[in-house]
Parts: sequence; C-alpha cells; structure tokens
Amino acid sequence: MFDNREMGLWLLLFATLFACAQSAPGQAKPPSGIQVKDLGGGFVGSTVCRACHPGQWQNFYKNPHFKSIAAAEAPALSGCEGCHGPGKSHVEAGGGKTTIPRAFSLMEPRQALDTCLSCHSKDFGRVNIRRSQHTLSNVACNSCHSIHKSPVPKFLLAKQQAELCYGCHPTVRAQFSMPFKHRVNEGFIQCSDCHNPHGAFAATWRSGTRPRMVEQALGNEEACMKCHSDKRGPFQFEHAAVRVEGCETCHIPHGSTNAKLLRRPAVLAVCLECHNGAGSFGRQADGITTQSGSHNMFDPRYQKCTTCHVRIHGSNSDPRFLR
Amino acid sequence: MRKRTLPLTFLAVLAHALQAQQVGSARGQDVNGYNVINSFETGYRFSSIDGDLGKYRSDVNFRNGIRLLGSSLTVNSKDGRGRLFDELVLQTLGLGNDPYESSTLRLQKNRWYRYDMLWRMNEYYNPGIPIANGQHLLDTRRRLQDHDFTILPQSKFKFRLGYTRNTQDGPALSTIQLFDGRGDEFPLFTNIRRERNEYRVGGDFEFVGIKLHWLQGWDYFKEDTANRLDGLSAGNNSEDRTTLAAFYRAEPYHGSTPFSRVNLRTERKYFAVNARLTYAGGRRNFIMDENAIGTNRLGAAQNRQIVVGGNARRPATTGDFSLSVLPTTRLSVTNSTSISSVRIDGDAVYRELSNASLQATTLQFRFLGIHTTTNMTDTQYRMSDRFWLYTGYHFSTREIRSVESDKDPSFDPFVTAGYQENRQHSGVFGIRIKPLKPVTVTLDGEVGRADTPFFPVSDRNYHALGGRVQLKQKSVLLSAAYREKYNTNSVSLSAHSSRGRNYSFDASWAPAAKFSLDAGYSKMHLDTVSGIAFFGLGNFLQSNSYYVSNLHAANIGVRVASHKRAEFYGGYSITKDVGGSKFALGPLALPPPNTLLFPQEFPLSFQSPLARVSILVRDKLRWNFSWQYYRYSEDFGLFGVGQNYRAHTGYTSLLWAF
Repeated sequence: MFDNREMGLWLLLFATLFACAQSAPGQAKPPSGIQVKDLGGGFVGSTVCRACHPGQWQNFYKNPHFKSIAAAEAPALSGCEGCHGPGKSHVEAGGGKTTIPRAFSLMEPRQALDTCLSCHSKDFGRVNIRRSQHTLSNVACNSCHSIHKSPVPKFLLAKQQAELCYGCHPTVRAQFSMPFKHRVNEGFIQCSDCHNPHGAFAATWRSGTRPRMVEQALGNEEACMKCHSDKRGPFQFEHAAVRVEGCETCHIPHGSTNAKLLRRPAVLAVCLECHNGAGSFGRQADGITTQSGSHNMFDPRYQKCTTCHVRIHGSNSDPRFLR
Repeated sequence: MRKRTLPLTFLAVLAHALQAQQVGSARGQDVNGYNVINSFETGYRFSSIDGDLGKYRSDVNFRNGIRLLGSSLTVNSKDGRGRLFDELVLQTLGLGNDPYESSTLRLQKNRWYRYDMLWRMNEYYNPGIPIANGQHLLDTRRRLQDHDFTILPQSKFKFRLGYTRNTQDGPALSTIQLFDGRGDEFPLFTNIRRERNEYRVGGDFEFVGIKLHWLQGWDYFKEDTANRLDGLSAGNNSEDRTTLAAFYRAEPYHGSTPFSRVNLRTERKYFAVNARLTYAGGRRNFIMDENAIGTNRLGAAQNRQIVVGGNARRPATTGDFSLSVLPTTRLSVTNSTSISSVRIDGDAVYRELSNASLQATTLQFRFLGIHTTTNMTDTQYRMSDRFWLYTGYHFSTREIRSVESDKDPSFDPFVTAGYQENRQHSGVFGIRIKPLKPVTVTLDGEVGRADTPFFPVSDRNYHALGGRVQLKQKSVLLSAAYREKYNTNSVSLSAHSSRGRNYSFDASWAPAAKFSLDAGYSKMHLDTVSGIAFFGLGNFLQSNSYYVSNLHAANIGVRVASHKRAEFYGGYSITKDVGGSKFALGPLALPPPNTLLFPQEFPLSFQSPLARVSILVRDKLRWNFSWQYYRYSEDFGLFGVGQNYRAHTGYTSLLWAF
C-alpha cells in the first residue's frame, strides 16, 4: 500500500501534528508536573493557566490587563481569573469551555457587560453604557473588543476603529467615501472623536432625545465645536439654526456629495426651505422670516446667499450676518 | 491520485496547525527586560491630476514628494516593573508633507502614571466654487493636539491633567457687501489665524463603591484674522456702480470658557446610578473696526467707518441623572432625566459713522435662551436565550425665549420678545432574535410627534424603521439591512415631507490568513418636498422645492498573501448619485431658483480603484507599491460650473521592521 518512504513521511506528519495539537491553545490537558494549588475560592493563579495556554500568555505582558498581574493583585482581581473566574474546576476537568466559570464566547451580552463593568465602571467615559443604544441592541463589550488578539495598539479593538464601526453601519462607510467627508478613512479623525460608543449623555441641542451616541464637547455643546471652535460663539447675533437645532440642520456630518457637507447642492435651497415665513416656526412661533423684497432671486447675484451673508453661523456686528 | 492528494491534505492541516500556533508568537528584540518592536515605512508619493485641480485638492489632496508614510515603535516591559516606564507606543502616519498627518504616543508606568498624546494635521483646500464662485476659497492647515496625563491610574484616587490645542491658519478668500443691502459684493483677502487652548485638571475618587469624577477646565479661544483690500475694485456685478477704493477691517475676537463637571456614579448588583452636573460659562470679547472708501450704487462717494465693540456671554448648565434598575438577569430598566439651560446675552455698541451723514448709533443685543428637559425610559428584557426585546418612551420639552430687534431700543421701545415651546414624544421598540446560532435578526422602530417644531424641516410627525439580518459562521459574515425615516412637517401655508430609505448588504469572507474578501453595497434614497417663498422680479412667489437623490455606493476589497513573502490588496469603491429619473423632467439645466421649482437632481459619480503590493525583499525589509485612481464626474452644471477630474496617485516605499 505505502512504500517505506511514504510510511516514514506519514509517521513524521502524524508525530508533528500530535506535537502541534499538544501545544495548541485550549487543546491540551494540564501537564502532569503542574502543582495546582487552591489559593482560596477555587482560584489557582495565572501561572497555572500559562501551562496549557502559552499562546495567550506569551505576549500578554503587552496587554493592558497585564497591569493587574504586575501589580500582584489578588487572583480574583487580576490576570486570567480576574475575568474568567476561578480556574480550579477548569483545570481539574482537563480543560473545556463549559468548565470556565466566565467563558465570554458562551456568555449572554448582559453577562459580558456585567463582568467587564466590575472593573471598568470606574471609567467616566463608560458611565452611560447601561442606557446606550448599543447595549439595548445587545452589542456587548466583546462585540468590538478582542482581549487576546487585538490587532490595534489602543483600546484592544477587534479591528481598526473605522472598520469596526462600518461592520454594523455600512451606510456610514458609504458616506465617508463620498467626495466631501470628514477624513476618517484617511486616518485624520476617528468615529470616537464625535461619538461615544459606550453611550453619551442627552444632547443639549435639538430635542435632547436624539442623537444618543454623540459625545458632547466639554462645554455642553455639540461635538462639532471641539474642532470648529470658531463657529462656537457666543455671538451677539446667533443664527438660531446652529444653536437650537444644531449643525445638522444644514450639514450632513459624515459625508456628502455637496460642497461644505451641505444638505443640498445649491445653497439657496438650504436657506429657502426654512426661510419661507410659513407656519408656527421660529423664535416668535410666527414663521422663519422670508428674504428681503430687495432680493430678486432670478438674478444670479442673489442666488448664493452666503456671498453676502458670510457670517452665517453667527455675527457680532450684523444681525443679518453680513460681516 | 489518492497517494498524492492525502499528503497534500495533511500538509494543509499541518500548515494550519502551525499557523494557529503562531498566534502570540514572540516578536521584536528583548533588551534589558524590555521587548522592542520598530518599523519605518518611507518612500515617494506621486500624483497626476487631469481636470479640476481645486476639486481634487478638496476631495483627495495627495501630492508628490518623499514621505515617512508610517512608523511604529513599541517598547514593553516584560515583567511590568520597568524602571521609568512599562510601555511606550509611538505611531506616526503621513509625516513629511501628506495632507493628513498624525502621531500618537502612549507612555505609562503601571500604577504610577499614564501619558497619552495625539497630534494631527490636516491641510485643507477648498475652492468653494458652488458656494460663492470660488470667492470663499480656503487653503488652511488645522493642527490638533491632545495631551492627557493621569497620575496613579490604577488607584482609587487618581488625578488628571490635560491640554488640548487646536489651530487653523492660512490664506483664504471671503466677500464683503457694500454699502447697503442692495450694494455690490467684493472679494476680500483674509489670512486666517484661529487658536484654541484648553487646560484641564481633574480627578477620580472612589469611596464605599461611589465614584466621584470631577473636572475643571479653562478654554481660551482667539481669532485675529486679518482682512484687507488695497486698490480699486469694481465688484462682482458690472452693472452696479458701487466701487471700492480701499478696505480695512480688524476684528480681534478673544474669549474664554471655563467649565466645571462633577459626576457621581455607583454600580450595584440591582441598580446603577449616574449623575452629572456641568457648567460652562462662555464669554467672548470683540472689537471690529472697519473702514471702506469708495462709491455707492448711486455713484456717490462713500467713506464709512463701522466700529463695534462689546462682549457676549453664554452660560450653559446641564444636569443629568440616570437610574438603571436590574431586578433580574433578564430585565433592565433605565430612566434618564436631563435638564439643559443655555442663555446667550451680553452688551455691545454698534456705531456706524459716515463722513457724509454721521449716521445714528445703534445699540442692540439679541437674547436667546434655550431650556430643555428630557426624560427617557428604556426597558430591555431577555425572554429567552434567543429572543430579546426593548421598548422605550422618550419625552422632551424645550422652551426658547428670544429678544430681537435691529433698531436702537431708544427709538424702538417695542423690541420683539419671542417665546416658543416645543414638546416631543416618541416611542421606541426593538427585538433581537437568534433563530439559529449563527443568525441574528434585529428589528427596531421609532415613532415620534412634536407639536411646534422650530423649523419647517424639523422632525414633526416622523417614524423610523430598521431591520438587520446577520449571518456569522466561522470565516463568513453576511449582513443585510434596511432603514427608513419618514417625516412630515406640513402646516397650513407650507408643506415639508422627507422620505429616506437606506438599503445595505455586506459580505466578508476570510477562509484563511492568506485570503480575505470584503464587499458591500448601499443604496441611500432621499426625496423631499419643501414649501418655499421668495421674491422674483418684484413678485412674491410661493412654490415647492423638490429634491431627490438616489445614491448607490459599493466597495470591494480582496487581500491575498503568500507565506509573508508577498501580499496583494485590490479594491474598488464607487459612489454614484443617479438622481431620480422617475421624478425628473429632464437634465438639470434650468438656472436657479427655477431649479427649486422642478425636481432637483444632481447626478454624479466618484469612483476609486486601488491596488497595493507588498513583497518581502529581505528579512525585515519589504517593498510596497500602491496605486489609486480617482475619478469625479458630475452630470450637472450647477451655476454653470463643472468640476470633473481624474487623478492617478500612489507611492512606492520600503518598510523596515526590526
């Protein structure tokens, strides 16, 4: 059936595979020489885990969670068992996911969240996670973070941040690929510059209920003001569109086919759709004022409103934003 | 056949097993108890542009030259007990002269300190052709930097120091209209200089399970943009007799925003509380001195000086309180209340002085106050391991008070005081089902009603529905999603309706480390009808503005690698707005504002194929080559302007990793 040479190759392959299988993470039984000492509460210490999971351990000193081991904190608060729970039963069973008290791949999103929050609730940026849209939609910590195999150096994300977000928000990827866009794909800014994926406080613009994942600037303002501080004011004459309803009244923040990320290609459409004098809108609830009768909109010089109304975001010297 | 196939199969299995073992394998060099990994990628970037250079620079902006395309340095203490630091991470991107440059640094020593730095630069060029015929051109650089230093980061008592700087500078164009509301417009050179500095100090304390976070900050902003025009200018409109012989304007604008933030929170087994109070006291001081000499639209000589000085204040206070109740492992209820109060007031003096007619002084300041109260209750319930649902009721009320008048109050005692109150109610509902282990189905919806919205285009009667199906099985990820939002805000004299529908499909397949495929398609539809009113040829005209957009966006990317020796990535992305052929009367050729009276469609396409090759030349040395093509094509001539372009860009580089 096989000649000697082929038989030798088969044996070599088998031996190599067997050796690989022995050292593969999560596949092996504890080596017989390991002393499993109960440190109390079923904890055995991270060094025991290392014997069977060298792959996870080898570069773990680069992991932010290694700090707890370096600080020699108690096993319940550090290393492998700080997250996965006491390992004695897992060791005694010779491995297996089901014997890990907290195996994240088997946990419900709420359980994963509770486990991570047992340490990370102290971080201010995550205080709204209980009420965030991500949590309501069952997007838990390990949906975005990869604790052991993160390819990025910051926040243990499972992918580069933009790619991670695009995974569930594909239309946003399309928006950032448009001619006019904030430079996310180019690496200049990131989604988390404006959004807090862990949930934000209620917006201080628009109705307050939406948007829910946009992080405020430190002065209680819309996130846009973090960078565009010249639009921030306060101005003597505020354009209510900016202050009351926010930048999105006129702009599409992610990306647009229109210049200046405007909602319409023609500026006059953006302006006229609000300034029509109708209904109960505006500051006095009697309509947004129409343009002056001196404007002949059939004359091209009047069709680019911001050529004259240059300070459209707010002015200190002209109520019509002319200077 | 059988003899040859079996060993090959085993070899494949062996290779896979060895590859799995490589996860977590050691990299870099060990030096004095530290592991060091370093890499530099340097090379030449090229670009060749045909067509509208200004539009290309506005969209892409890569140019020719030598670059440090990227670099990375990580130094990690192997036992977490380094002498001065335990981790150092330094990464750079695009240094040299790319339009997008960034650098990040993290330095920390366990238990003692942590320092994070982020520096970014964006060279932004935008001719603004559709905005003001190119007279609002920007050629500026924006630099952002953030520094955060935390002392005792793992302690229950930690302290934070922070600094943020944001600058924008560079030449730009603007416009000025003179000498009255019917006067001419003149281009104006400006040299933008804006600067914001923010200083922060704060800390975190934890006591009996209650965490206190406090932050005090000082934000300083100043703008000293210079504007001037020397020499005679005839203005934009040849029929207008307005001329400008000289123009000078100085308007330094400085201000500060001190802010304070206190946050209290606790996480317990059955509940979590989160409360925050923030106060920001914005203030700006300004002076403007503007002098214009020329002739007005009637040909009369003008020598006008406008002096404005004053300050504006905007105190903003926000309070938030959230209570999450977790009675069982299946149920969570969260109620959040937020109160936000913003007042904008101040005082200013406006003086307009004409050498011909010493015009009156106007003193006026507008007041705008916004008070918003929001309450949101959300409940999430896990019915079984495969079925979750959430519901919520959100309510907000917003009061807007304002005082506005263009006239001197001493002559116009009847200053208009405005008041408007707006309430909004909305209900949300969502379910998540896992009919099979790899399949997740998510459905959600929101229905909202507002009584007196602020703008004709604001949300009034709206609903949003969405659904998503995701299949995740080993190396395959498939997802399809649909989302729509409809809003109607029609009143007796005007109508507004918007309908947005988004469809998307995404696929990702990575059967091995050597191969991966990602593809996606999205369609974004939007059609709106809005009541408009304007003056034309002396008549007051009312009509509707129709806008329709059907954006198709697709992307595909394929990565193929060969044993670390060579790697290839090919991709293609396209964004195409096909307009709304079923609505449109024909190609858009009508001049504005007639464009608003007929269905507006602006078909265009923006596409970009790319290819990248990376080859291992020697141990630790790779050669990279990248090519990317951009093509922008618009099938309309808004205001008679076409901005099409084609560009080949790319780079060739060497990556040295050690």
